Amino acid sequence: MADKVNAAFTSDDQWTPVSPKLVTARRITLCLVYLLVIGGIVAVYAFSTAPSWVTVALVVAALVVFVWLWWLIGRRVRSFGYSERGDDLLVTSGIMFRRLVIVPYGRMQLVDVKAGPIDRWLGVTTVQLHTAAATTDASIPGLVPDVAADLRDRLARRGEQRSAGL
Amino acid sequence: MSDLNGPPTPEPPQSNVGDDFGLGFQLPGSGTVDDRGRRRVHPITPLVHGASMVPVGLFLVVILGFGSGAAFGLAGVAVFVLGLVVLPVVVAAWSYLVWRNLWYWFDDDGDFRVDSGVITKQERRVQLSRLQSVDVAQPLIARLFSMAELTVEVAGSQESKLKLQFLSLDDARALRATILARAAGLRHDTSEAPEDAIAKVAPRDLAVSLLLRSSTAFLLLFSVLVLAISFLTGGWGGLFVALFTGGIPILIVVSEFIRYFNFTVSDSPDGLRLRFGLAKTEARTVPPGRVQAIEYVEPFLWRRRNWVRVRVNIAGMGGQDRQGNKEETLLIPVATMADAHAIVGRVFPDVDVDALEWHLAPDRSRRRSFIQWSRLAVAWDANVFAARRGRVTRRLSVIPHARTQSVRVTQGPWERPLDLASVHVDTTPGPVSVSALHLDAAFAARVAREQTERALQARSVDRSIRWAAGETPPDAAT
Repeated sequence: MADKVNAAFTSDDQWTPVSPKLVTARRITLCLVYLLVIGGIVAVYAFSTAPSWVTVALVVAALVVFVWLWWLIGRRVRSFGYSERGDDLLVTSGIMFRRLVIVPYGRMQLVDVKAGPIDRWLGVTTVQLHTAAATTDASIPGLVPDVAADLRDRLARRGEQRSAGL
Repeated sequence: MSDLNGPPTPEPPQSNVGDDFGLGFQLPGSGTVDDRGRRRVHPITPLVHGASMVPVGLFLVVILGFGSGAAFGLAGVAVFVLGLVVLPVVVAAWSYLVWRNLWYWFDDDGDFRVDSGVITKQERRVQLSRLQSVDVAQPLIARLFSMAELTVEVAGSQESKLKLQFLSLDDARALRATILARAAGLRHDTSEAPEDAIAKVAPRDLAVSLLLRSSTAFLLLFSVLVLAISFLTGGWGGLFVALFTGGIPILIVVSEFIRYFNFTVSDSPDGLRLRFGLAKTEARTVPPGRVQAIEYVEPFLWRRRNWVRVRVNIAGMGGQDRQGNKEETLLIPVATMADAHAIVGRVFPDVDVDALEWHLAPDRSRRRSFIQWSRLAVAWDANVFAARRGRVTRRLSVIPHARTQSVRVTQGPWERPLDLASVHVDTTPGPVSVSALHLDAAFAARVAREQTERALQARSVDRSIRWAAGETPPDAAT
């Protein structure tokens, strides 16, 4: 069954995975978010009159979610992949909500390369493609900066060659 | 360039500016064309602007005067004069300065130019190759003077809307025709495109259709139920609830009725011409080359009458304009299926929705969508991709292959164990989304990949952008 489902999202195309450094970047972000969560739980413990089992329940719940997210980030990053075909770019990702986006080069309006502070520190960048449709959700995170720049230039060049009107 | 529309007439119709009162003399400055061929808007514009302030003034008088009890005596007179005389006169005076400095013309490159500004001068050049739409509207006060405003919209830029206030209705229509004809690559001296009415919505049909929309009908029924319960139990708190659940849909019905009153769709060489409105008459042109996708919407209570509403996505007209008004995305608010097909046939000429061969979602999709599953289906032919969904309100969306932006396959946690997946064909922002939901996963993957190939092929032969000029590149300057 699982193989059959996968068939919808993979193919014989050559899939390029993204850099595993993205796992580290996302886990750091998760830890930063959890600082806030810890702060919230401490506040509940210190300032509220709720019985102590509430605090215990909160801590346990937060821990379970943390472990689950930690594990999920690893799987999610491994699920990212892109494939440059003759006339279009394929991007796939997702564990719970899976998606496969097919963007024809001729439809690309602009290609963004961006990186947040944590991403920059670890040396990963995101390449995002825009078409005239707002629903085109084609971003490839976790690329090494050199690879990202090359990809952007390649995509832009192909987009120019095949550019079509609306 | 070949002669597309008979022998050229020498000049666009001469402005009748100035003789609006039919007295046989021209107002100073009227119909002015200066040595560079620049034109002014109608000289009674300041008067119209001044008159537009009278209702505002009246409102101020009522609020300030009567509200504070100073309706009588010296203060009352002061407020009265301020609101009804000074305010309109000041606005009219300012408007006169604006009028003096406002010029419009076509320059040597064939672009539409507008110079304006009293204190800060502004020179705008409207690239007609990027023209989105030209609309003639008649605001209530302007209508009393038989004046009209012209709105020119261009794709892309932030300040992409340009308003000319005010021109006589005939002048506005002639200018509109000239701009559209130039933009479509025709010769600019063709007279205003003739119109053939395709469909007209009777006021009664419009009112009935608005009342019978699923959400409206449900909310009204719910309000009646709430009222009945509160009447029977004596719990009058229900009245408050009914005020909202009943009042809001009634407000929506009334406002849409005023907005879409006398909705007329006619056929012209520029595209589909839409006219509508009770308080403010609006005219819009939908150039077929700009339509990206369409959707038939069939609410449950409309089905007995065989009614349908048609919505469109138009490139660059997705969400809201700069004033935050909702952009018009209706092709017709209500029509019989046959009329709707006729209208859609004008926009997408090679489409026959009834002849499409539908591929249904598998039976197991009922475990994901237990109401609409039996309607879910996808279809395609040589020209278009279509998807339908919805059982209570039926929706059928159609997108030409050449308008495909990107293609997505998605699979949520509920679809996965059932081996289902959905295919989405992305289009420009707008009310229409083309989604074939809950298909067999392997089939969905095949459809998506084939769709990109169909789109690629269709794009390479598509020529509908400059749809009026055929294969000749437009030569607007001649």
